[in-house]
Amino acid sequence: MSPGAADPRPPVAPRLADRRPPVALYLHVPFCVSLCPYCDFVVVAGAGARGASSRIAAFVEALATELRLRADTLDALFGGPSSGGRPALASVYLGGGTPSLLAPDDVARLLGIAGARFGLADGAEVTLEANPGPDERGDAAAFARAGVTRLSLGAQAMDAKLLRRLGRRHAPADVAAAVAEARAGGIANVSVDLLYDVPGQTPDGWAETLDAAVALGVDHVSAYALTLDDPDAEGLTGPLGDHLPTRAGARRWRAAAVVEQDEDRAADQYRTAVERLGAAGFRGYEISNWARPGRESRHNLAYWRRLPHEAVGPGAHAFDGAVRRWNAARLEPYLAALAAAPTLPPGGEEPVDAAAAAAETAILALRLDTGLPVAAAMAPGSRLAPHLDWALGAGLLTRFVSEDGEARVRLTTDGRLLSNELFARLV
Amino acid sequence: MTIPQSRVRNFSIIAHIDHGKTTLSDRLLELTHTIEARQMTSQVLDSMDLEKEKGITIKARAVRLEYTAADGLAYALNLIDTPGHVDFSYEVSRSLQACEGAILVVDAAQGIEAQTLANVHLALREGLTIIPVLNKIDLPSAQPDVVMEELESVLAIPREEVILASAKEGTGVPEILEAIVARIPPPKGAADAPLRALVFDSHYDPYKGVVCYIRLEEGTLHEHDVIRLMASGAETELLELGVFRPQLVPVKQLAAGEVGYVATGLKNVREAQVGDTVTTVARPAAEPFPGYQAAKSLVFAGLYPVAGPDYPLLRDALEKLHLNDASFTFEPESSVALGFGFRCGFLGLLHMEIVQERLEREFDLDLIASAPSVEYHVNLTASRGQVVVDNPARFPDVGEIESIEEPWVNLGIVTPDRYIGSLMELTTNRRGTFLTMEYLDPQRVHMHFELPLAELIVDYYDQLKTRTQGYASMEYEEAGYRAANLVKLDVLVNGEPVDALSLIVHRDRAQTTGRALTTQLRKLIPRQMFEVPIQAAIGSHVVARETLAAMRKNVLAKCYGGDITRKRKLLEKQKEGKQRMKRVGSVEIPQEAFLAILRMDED
Repeated sequence: MSPGAADPRPPVAPRLADRRPPVALYLHVPFCVSLCPYCDFVVVAGAGARGASSRIAAFVEALATELRLRADTLDALFGGPSSGGRPALASVYLGGGTPSLLAPDDVARLLGIAGARFGLADGAEVTLEANPGPDERGDAAAFARAGVTRLSLGAQAMDAKLLRRLGRRHAPADVAAAVAEARAGGIANVSVDLLYDVPGQTPDGWAETLDAAVALGVDHVSAYALTLDDPDAEGLTGPLGDHLPTRAGARRWRAAAVVEQDEDRAADQYRTAVERLGAAGFRGYEISNWARPGRESRHNLAYWRRLPHEAVGPGAHAFDGAVRRWNAARLEPYLAALAAAPTLPPGGEEPVDAAAAAAETAILALRLDTGLPVAAAMAPGSRLAPHLDWALGAGLLTRFVSEDGEARVRLTTDGRLLSNELFARLV
Repeated sequence: MTIPQSRVRNFSIIAHIDHGKTTLSDRLLELTHTIEARQMTSQVLDSMDLEKEKGITIKARAVRLEYTAADGLAYALNLIDTPGHVDFSYEVSRSLQACEGAILVVDAAQGIEAQTLANVHLALREGLTIIPVLNKIDLPSAQPDVVMEELESVLAIPREEVILASAKEGTGVPEILEAIVARIPPPKGAADAPLRALVFDSHYDPYKGVVCYIRLEEGTLHEHDVIRLMASGAETELLELGVFRPQLVPVKQLAAGEVGYVATGLKNVREAQVGDTVTTVARPAAEPFPGYQAAKSLVFAGLYPVAGPDYPLLRDALEKLHLNDASFTFEPESSVALGFGFRCGFLGLLHMEIVQERLEREFDLDLIASAPSVEYHVNLTASRGQVVVDNPARFPDVGEIESIEEPWVNLGIVTPDRYIGSLMELTTNRRGTFLTMEYLDPQRVHMHFELPLAELIVDYYDQLKTRTQGYASMEYEEAGYRAANLVKLDVLVNGEPVDALSLIVHRDRAQTTGRALTTQLRKLIPRQMFEVPIQAAIGSHVVARETLAAMRKNVLAKCYGGDITRKRKLLEKQKEGKQRMKRVGSVEIPQEAFLAILRMDED
């Protein structure tokens, strides 16, 4: 069943033994000052996001309520956060949307609930996504005081013309200002998101953007190829779907943009990123992510290591080791469920069977530069072995020995660019 | 109710697609209370889904209307429907042979079309009385005067005979019924002569076996008679005898002049094909009807299951479909590129499309069709005789070929005269020869060409429609074999010959065709993980080459919480897509590529 199906089957009772308590928590904050036409995330913009008719206050209440309800369920299954059956959270991630539109007090309050009801490990990574614009990025120092330890900035490009084409509200100088404010305010760990394969982007422009990001002294770079999917066609935008229907304007923008995308340019740009970021001391620890040593995103590593995570907010996805669960994307039904006599918001869930779990595990591990151990993955009789053999032969995979002396395989740069050729064999 | 032969009328309706044959049939059924208006599912005679969708009548059907005429007497009017496409001209001729008259329906806004003209000429050759009807006179664009003038000048139909009608609104339909009674002569055959009945259609019923639709010329047929089909030699005791109301209603006997059906219990439609003559074993007729032909395939193509293990399913499906449609042929063949499949023969390209669609739809099969071919006569060197080849992949080696002959057709096109230049160009580019042309009215012409059939079956009809915004219509008939300077063009993908892509072309156009084909293939074959040369060659001589660049990027940029399941499903889809492709050597080739030859004119 897909997340968009209107009438989900009755939830399949998962095996309790496979269920594990979360080590990470995601909070989805679905508000933006304006919509970017390429973005698929669950976002409400305009009047709902600011001013008198803003739904932010109601939303923070609802999110707090959902956090408590989810914690109640975990308490019942595994015991309370200090009972020994539940690890403290190693990471919390406020994503969006533009979570930096929240008041620092609200962030402090939500993190307080998270700490009290889920437990927050010492030195836990607490990321807040922010847009760089002066009216969007909020008060970094206040966020730091609220408990935020890591800022993820939606820079996307360092070129004014390209930013306009992407529908972004900020200018390149705002990115520098946002990074400086974060540092001054006490946020030590700063990441920027960048986009390539963007219509109108030149090879030089992309190299300059990479260099500019490096020059800002950021700790982490996520570089994504602009991906113009169609969640409507995938059936994800029904009443219980985890995506919102694509607006007509965005659909037109994407139709015009997709014809200007270019496989060869994108491949060249990816290689440029590998070279420039590598030379600047970043490690490409995941297909689209580079970090200075020790600055890898712990929260995102939890996804790629397939660790259980809790998630709240519209469109958010949780995983408990056996079942993937999602909240429906639509804001008003979400708020309604969590008002007055609160119940868990609408959504769906899907157990992951053993074959899918094995495929997911291998694919996610191969996205990382730590790869897969040869002994297990390539053992005779392993379902994966023939495909991994093929990928080694085709130069997509390479063998290496990890620091602790284990023989492993990981994707080469070619292999990363063509990873779906391998992954489609593994599913 | 028994109606004397003098009050039986047998007639067909001749009309171009969309000129209103089906609507008129429906009105006739309603007005004679054969079917009450409230029971009418629109367009009763077209009973196959596919027919409704394509708006054409594929299989002939028949219905008996009981009509009390203005003279107060009851008449039996047998309406014999005819297939509405050029591929089925033999079936049309047999349906017409079963009639004494035909209603010619012409759209008052469009005028007469090529195929209608051809069918009227067939009807006139059979000596049928024509009742001309101008339909759709309610349309603002109707030009009854122009079209009547056209009928007069082209078919010598006096305008006084023309009935103005709007089948949609019911106008003129009572006049048509009266004209059927008054103008069409009754059948004449003697009821006491030995039986001769013409099979004008048949279908297969799992309980009754082959059900033949027959027109009795002479003699009388009783239930439980033992019959013989004079062409096939099959003999069988009748299971049932009846008439069409329009559902099958059993009767005790049918006599000369009447139209009905016989349930034969035969298991194979090949034993009772259209055009065969039914007689009784007890008192056989001396001679069958003249002009019988077994269904003749003009277009051949390989049909292959996308998934190799579906081969037995395809065989079963072909056998089942063949029970109802004996006009296509099939025999096993294998291809290096496509594996095991069947070489199928069809009446024409539309017939091929219909059969393929029915196989896919009714039997839930995923099929690849190789490019269609005609049947070549290849004369071998050293007087070793002639071989008949309908598959380019099976062509003898160049060194063994003395000469090649290919089938030609006479092609008739009716078109507004502003398209003359474009159609001349289209047809001569395809090795056609212009013969003559006459004006039907001041704006419309009837053009005559000769053309190799091989050129016609490669999207000629689509091109004709595209170039004339749909205004032109065509019909064709076989015109024998002629010697031709032909060569076999092979396609090599990554150095491997792909037998299913081989084609026969005129030597002078081998290079042009090779270029167009390799260009098209480069667009249709997705990038692989390595560079792939695509070549066209005559023997070992490469005449065209394209290079498909290696794939550079196929990666999911983002993969976080909610993406994991979603992206796994996208990957599963990619995998399914790959599985639907055919692997030739190490290259994955999608189904569309095997029809590249049909798409070369798109650019």
